[in-house]
Amino acid sequence: MYMLRGEIYSTPCILANSEFLETHMNEDLFLNWVRSTGLDISIGVFVLGTLWRLFEIYSLGRKTDLAVPRHRAGASGLHTLFRRSVPPPGMFKRSPISYVGGYVFHIGLFIVVFLFAQHIKLIQSLTGLSWPNLPAQFIDATAVVTLATMVLVLAERINKPVKRFLSTFGDYAGWALTFLPVLTGYLANKHLLLSYTTMLGLHILSVELLLVFIPFTKLFHVFTLWGSRWYNGDVNGRKGVPT
Amino acid sequence: MSASIEKGISVLKEVIDAPIASYFSSCVHCGLCAEACLFYTESGDPKYTPIHKLEPLRRVYKQEYTLLGRFAKILGLSKPVTDEELEEWKPLVYDSCTLCGRCSLVCPVGNDIVYMVRRLREGMAISGHAPEGLAGASQRAVEIGSPMGVKLPAVKAQMKHVQADTGIEIPLDVVGAEYMVLMSSMEIINFPEYLAAIARIMKQAGKTWTLCSEAFEATNSGIQIGVSDIARVLVQRIVDGAEKLKVKTVISPECGHAYTALRWEGPNLIGRPYSFEVLHILEVLDGFRNAGLLKTSGFEEAKLTFHDPCQLVRRGGVLEEPRRLLNLVAKDYVETGDPGKMNWCCGGGGGVSAIEEAEELRLTAFKVKKVQLEATGAKTLVTACANCRIVLEEGLEHYKMDIPVVGLTETIAAHLTAKE
Amino acid sequence: MNISNDSEFKAALSFLSGTNRRRVAAHFSENVLSLSKDARIKGAIDAAKRADITPAELAAAYQTARAASVESYTRCGRECNWNDQASHFVAEAGVACVQPDKPGANPAWDAAMQARMARTCETIATGRGTDNAEAAAQYRILAEFLNS
Repeated sequence: MYMLRGEIYSTPCILANSEFLETHMNEDLFLNWVRSTGLDISIGVFVLGTLWRLFEIYSLGRKTDLAVPRHRAGASGLHTLFRRSVPPPGMFKRSPISYVGGYVFHIGLFIVVFLFAQHIKLIQSLTGLSWPNLPAQFIDATAVVTLATMVLVLAERINKPVKRFLSTFGDYAGWALTFLPVLTGYLANKHLLLSYTTMLGLHILSVELLLVFIPFTKLFHVFTLWGSRWYNGDVNGRKGVPT
Repeated sequence: MSASIEKGISVLKEVIDAPIASYFSSCVHCGLCAEACLFYTESGDPKYTPIHKLEPLRRVYKQEYTLLGRFAKILGLSKPVTDEELEEWKPLVYDSCTLCGRCSLVCPVGNDIVYMVRRLREGMAISGHAPEGLAGASQRAVEIGSPMGVKLPAVKAQMKHVQADTGIEIPLDVVGAEYMVLMSSMEIINFPEYLAAIARIMKQAGKTWTLCSEAFEATNSGIQIGVSDIARVLVQRIVDGAEKLKVKTVISPECGHAYTALRWEGPNLIGRPYSFEVLHILEVLDGFRNAGLLKTSGFEEAKLTFHDPCQLVRRGGVLEEPRRLLNLVAKDYVETGDPGKMNWCCGGGGGVSAIEEAEELRLTAFKVKKVQLEATGAKTLVTACANCRIVLEEGLEHYKMDIPVVGLTETIAAHLTAKE
Repeated sequence: MNISNDSEFKAALSFLSGTNRRRVAAHFSENVLSLSKDARIKGAIDAAKRADITPAELAAAYQTARAASVESYTRCGRECNWNDQASHFVAEAGVACVQPDKPGANPAWDAAMQARMARTCETIATGRGTDNAEAAAQYRILAEFLNS
C-alpha cells in the first residue's frame, strides 16, 4: 500500500488507548516530517550543493594545449568515458573483488533505485516521468545481493593493506550512507524489524542523509568521474594513446 | 633562489586547475593505482600508492579551492601543509615515481595521477624539497647546457670519433638542413653508436641533417625536477637553435623524457606553437621505411623482445613504429606479457636514476621486469631510450640475467644494406 | 706493412683469423688499460690473448667484463666524471675482446673503437681538446703485430 505525499496513514480502528495513539502519532509525525520538510531540505541541499560543487570544480578551467595533436581513431575523451569502465589488461587478476564487487553493487544500486515499482511511482509523482519496472522478487534478490556485495567490499577495504592504508572516516561514512538506504528499504518493503511506518521513515531519512552528503564527500564521484575520465581521455587522445 | 614553504604552497595553488579539482573529487580510495605501480607491487609497501603521493596537493586543493575547506581553514580545523611534511613526501614524490603514467591508465574514475605528480613537483622544488641529484642536474643543464656536464668540446670529440668509425662526416650548424638532430647527454657520454647509426641511416636515405652547437642537448631536467621555468629555458634553447638553422624537423633522440618534454610540453612552456615539426627518431625511421628509403638486409638471429619506454609509448603515443621497424630486422620477435602502453617501467625514469638514495628501491622494483622478461624467453632486449637501456642492464646484471640490451636505431643501422 | 688511415686499418683487421682478432683486440685494450682501475678488465684482456682458451672460459671472462662495464656507466642525470667514463670505455674494450662470436662483428675493430672513446674521454677530462693520437697508436700496434 503506497502513500502519496502529504497523506497521513490512519489506522482503520482507532482505539482509545493513549499510549497506542502516542506511539503511532510519533511515528506518523516522523514519517510525515521526512516526507515533507526533510525531503525539501535534502533535495534542496543536494541540488544546490551539486550545482555549487560542479561550478567550484570546473570553473577552474584548464589551459589550452598548444602542442600539435596526433589523431588516432578510438583515442579521445569520449571513448575513455566508457572504456574506463573496463579493467585494463592485467589489472583484473590483481584485484578481482575491486572490479566484480564494484560492478555488482553499483548495478545493484541502479536496479533497486530506478527499477523498483514504488520508486518509479515516486519519481512519476515528482516529475511526471515513468518507465517499466522489474518484478518485485527480482528487486528483492538484487537488494540482497547488493547488500552482501557491499559487506564484501567493506571487508576488502578493511583487509587489503592498500585500501586500509588509504581509508579515512569519509570512506567508512560513505559506505554507511550508501548501505543504510538499501538495508532500510529492504526491511521496510518486507515489513521486517520495526513497524512499517517507522521503517519507511528511517528509509526515507537515510536517503535524505545520503542526498545531503553526496555533494560534499567522495560520493560526489558519481558526477565528477565523467569529467575526470573525459580530461584523462582527452589528454592521452591528443597524444594518440587510447586509454 | 630562496626556498620557502609559502612559495611552495603559492605555486601549488597556481597549478591546480579543473582537471586536478575533478580528480581529487573523484577519488574513491579503491587502491587500484597501487596495483599498477611497480614501486608498490614489488615492495608491498602501501605508502607507494600513487594517489597517496599526492596528499599535500590534495590538502592545498581542499583548503584553497573548496568552500567547506576554506571554511575549515578559517576555523582552524584543517591541517596545514608544512615543510616537514613536504620533506617527508620527498621520497614518495621523487624516489618512488618515474612519471611512468601507468596509474593514470588504470584509475577507474579516470584520475590522471601522473599529471598531478608532475604538478606537485613544482611546489616541492620551489620550496627546497627536490632531491639533490636532480637539483644538480637541473643546474648543470641551465648553466652548462647539459644535465651531466657535457660541453661542446665533448660533442665535437664524439663527432670526430663517429666520423672515424663510419667514414661519414658529421654536419654541424648547417643552415637549411631538413633535420636537426638532438642527442641526450646519455648518448653523448655512453652511446656513441647512436650518432653513428644516425649518420649511416641519413646517408642511405639521402636526407640532409645537422647537429646544432648551441642546442645539442635533448634531455629536459626541468621536467623531471618539476621546475617549469628551467624546463622552458631548455626548450627555448632548442627552439632558438632550430629556428636559426631553419630546419623543418627536429629529431628527438632515444631518450624518453626528452620526447615528452619537447613534443608535448614544449609549446605550452614557451607559450606558442613551434614553426617546425618534432619527431622521435623512431617516427623518422618509420617514415623512411614507409617511403622505401630504408633498405635493410639480414635478420637478427636471437629471439628478441622490446621494452616500450614509458615516455615514448604510453606517454608519447609512438605505439606502432617500434614494431614496424623491428619487423624489418627480426625473425624471432616475441612481445612481453604487457606490451605497448601497458608495459612496466624500467624503474629509472623521471629522474629516479639520478637519485642515489633511490637505488635500492629501484632494484627492488626491477623484479617486475625480471619476471616479465624471463617469461618471454628472449635472448636480446631491444629498447629505444638510453636511460632505460642502462637501467635495464643494471637490473639484469643485478639479477644475474644474461640478456644483452641494444638500441633500436643502432640495430636498424647495423642491418643497412651496404652501398656497392 | 704500413697503415696510415682507417680504411687500411679496417681492411687489415678483416683479414685476421678469429684468434688473432682477439689478440689484437687485447693489444688495443692494453694501450688504454692505464685509464681504468678495474682489475677485472686486465683479466679479460689476458684471457683474450690466450690462443688455447676454451669457450667456457671465454664466456666466464665475458660475464666478468660485462659486470665491470655495466657498473661503470654514468647514470642518467649524474654529473659526468670524464675519467670515470674513460674507465667505462676501457671496460667496453675488454668486453669486445671476449665477446661471443657474432657474424659480421670484428672484436678487434670494436675494441679499437672503444679504446679510442676511452682516450677521448681522458682528453676531455684533462681539457686537452678533442684530438688524440690513439688511432695512430693503434695503426702502429697493428702493423707491429702483423710484422711479428
